[in-house]
Amino acid sequence: MTTLTPPAPGTPHLTRWLIRLHRPALLFWTAVVVTVSGVLLWLGGPLADASAAAWRAYDACQASACRYDQAAIIHYKDVYQYATIAVLAAPFLVAAWAGAALTGREVETGTARLAWTQSSSPLRWFASRLALPAAVVTAGTGLLVVLHHLAWSAGKGRIGTLKSWYDLPTFYANGPVVVALALAGLVAGALAGLLRRGSLPALVAGLGFTGLLWYAVQLVMPHLWTTSTSVVALKRFAPTGGGLGVDEGIVTATGAHVSNLTCGNSENDECLAFYDKFDAVGWYRDYHPASHYWPLQLTATALVLALTALLTLLAFRLLHRETGLRKGRSA
Amino acid sequence: MLEYRIDRHSGVATYVQIVQQTKQALRLGHLEPGDKLPTAREVVEATAINPNTVLKAYRELEREGLVEARRGLGTFVRRGLGAAPADSPLNAELDGWTAKAREAGLDRDDVAALFTAVLDKHFPTQFPEQTAATQHSQGDPS
Amino acid sequence: MTDTALEAAALGKRFGRLRRSAGWALRDCSFALPAGRVCAVVGPNGAGKSTLLALAAGLLAPTEGTLSVLGEPVGQARARVGFVAQDKPLYPQLTVAETLRMGGDLNPGRWDARAAERIVAGGDLDPKARVRSLSGGQRTRVALALALGKRPELLLLDEPMADLDPLARHELMGVLMSQAAQHGTTIVMSSHVVAELEDSCDHLLLIGGGRVRLAGEIDALLETHARVSAAADTDLAPHTVVESRTTGRQLTALIRPAAPLPADWRPGTPSLEELVLSYLRNPEAQTTAPGTPAKSPEESAV
Repeated sequence: MTTLTPPAPGTPHLTRWLIRLHRPALLFWTAVVVTVSGVLLWLGGPLADASAAAWRAYDACQASACRYDQAAIIHYKDVYQYATIAVLAAPFLVAAWAGAALTGREVETGTARLAWTQSSSPLRWFASRLALPAAVVTAGTGLLVVLHHLAWSAGKGRIGTLKSWYDLPTFYANGPVVVALALAGLVAGALAGLLRRGSLPALVAGLGFTGLLWYAVQLVMPHLWTTSTSVVALKRFAPTGGGLGVDEGIVTATGAHVSNLTCGNSENDECLAFYDKFDAVGWYRDYHPASHYWPLQLTATALVLALTALLTLLAFRLLHRETGLRKGRSA
Repeated sequence: MLEYRIDRHSGVATYVQIVQQTKQALRLGHLEPGDKLPTAREVVEATAINPNTVLKAYRELEREGLVEARRGLGTFVRRGLGAAPADSPLNAELDGWTAKAREAGLDRDDVAALFTAVLDKHFPTQFPEQTAATQHSQGDPS
Repeated sequence: MTDTALEAAALGKRFGRLRRSAGWALRDCSFALPAGRVCAVVGPNGAGKSTLLALAAGLLAPTEGTLSVLGEPVGQARARVGFVAQDKPLYPQLTVAETLRMGGDLNPGRWDARAAERIVAGGDLDPKARVRSLSGGQRTRVALALALGKRPELLLLDEPMADLDPLARHELMGVLMSQAAQHGTTIVMSSHVVAELEDSCDHLLLIGGGRVRLAGEIDALLETHARVSAAADTDLAPHTVVESRTTGRQLTALIRPAAPLPADWRPGTPSLEELVLSYLRNPEAQTTAPGTPAKSPEESAV
């Protein structure tokens, strides 16, 4: 910390009062985490089992007189969908709260100034405002992500309609990117609160930033790790290669890959003419196989965390510049 | 304990009011040698005036030899003023005279005017603190 | 303790970096406030009083110039400075008692719980009452208790008495004065009503149009000015004229005498309010030199 600590015994208990002031938010967050966790445990346990049993029954009878529990299958699918949305909403929830309540309202009503004129500096105040929520958000979102991953894994190989690992909502709800995004939302909301001087504009700004960041991550994420390429001859109906697709197209006689130039079924005359025209001999597909799951998750997480750190630095610099803690400027 | 009453609209400087009221208390025997004046803190808490104003008044009283500051203990009365304590025969006479004036139908202003006229006749010069007050309101050109 | 509670040199604050000229809330401010004084910061609304107090409280960074507080660069003396903002911000969801407990927690080693509780008790406030349910005057009381509880060496109060009824105003001003008498606390309080501060303050900082118009001991300022009335064609030179007005054959003026005045000008000492108004009405009038020499510090309180 750049400020001189007062020559007083003991340090200010900023955290205790942060908890007291935001007790309703903390209780709400705890309730959300407990509820969604409960749903995820239910999903990964009884619901997945029921759905798997229904799928076994369905697979066993190929004939017309087939009895299987369709309701169980649909139920699992629906609850899975809602639970995934709930996990993915965490970053937005955090960003909205951070912007509106954590800093925005305090700057708006002047209580931030009240806090800054006690014995600790604005920078310490801001640090305490970020540190504890960051821990709570990491713990809460982390727990949800782990439980979601477990609930999803419980259906692997047992449930026919289970989402693939690269289904986007599933991909994010299953891994640490969401935790990083929640932290980014926290810092973005807090920064917006400092900048916008109003809780509502800060809320909107925090939400907007989090949404944009997520969109950007979505665009960048597939390119964060080298893709695998699968090449097949035109004999097949379409390019192959299971997993998160990044690019596909035709392979020409010279071996060049031309992106986005496919016609479809090569048995179709029109398409054959099309492929002849481009001298195509095969199809290629750049994609991420399941083994790229962790590299993709971790690089995207690292990217978001780096950006979060940058935002944090920016917020501290802003506060530092605004509140006059300049060193070496004594009269 | 002496309590000062500050009149913001009297036109008399605040510290002069404190000096006057202290002297009044000395004259009437409400304060006697050895008595302690209220501390500056007690005065300002009750009157909301600036502490330095009280200190200025006390310095003035000290300069006139009426009180003395004892470091760490407070400010104490050194000597009384005048010879007309509240229980003196003069007081009783004046009290009797005032009662008679009232019976005769005089109101407060009549009595005050009468008394001031007699006072001016017997004491043609003003009291020093009134001089100070006048000086304050007129300013010192030099 | 340092001798100077507040010292500004060419201090300026501009809001909004994009506007080139309009944004200066305060400019070219130089003054020194000796420790132990009760200083009135007086000026019309929007003159820059709040900006000056926020700068001194370490809530804003100066755009130019320097400001030292209790001998340290501004912002580093935070633990020794108390501040009450104009709108008396408090956490609405806390109770009065909790607010004071927070004061103790956030100011470890300095907090005087009894002093804070006494101020609150003076207002007949239920310690269990939520801050959001308090009236304006009650909030002021709690805010003052919070600021005084940390035993500040410098207390900055922005329009502290605006929300109070006359009785509470008198009582709380008494509390402030007793704080100054007992601990030698330097108090700086702003108001646009001069009369409100006249009896309680011994130092004046007159702000107008973002600049310091007048600074110094009130007694000294009053002594160095004179109200005169003379014939209309009187030449007031070599005295510095703050304000002059001619009505018929009569000239009345507020001047800073450079030499003894002739008796037929009927010179008188202006009241503080007259002095302040004369300066504010005449923005062009020459102000006193920055850092008017202060009197020697008063001896310690009795």
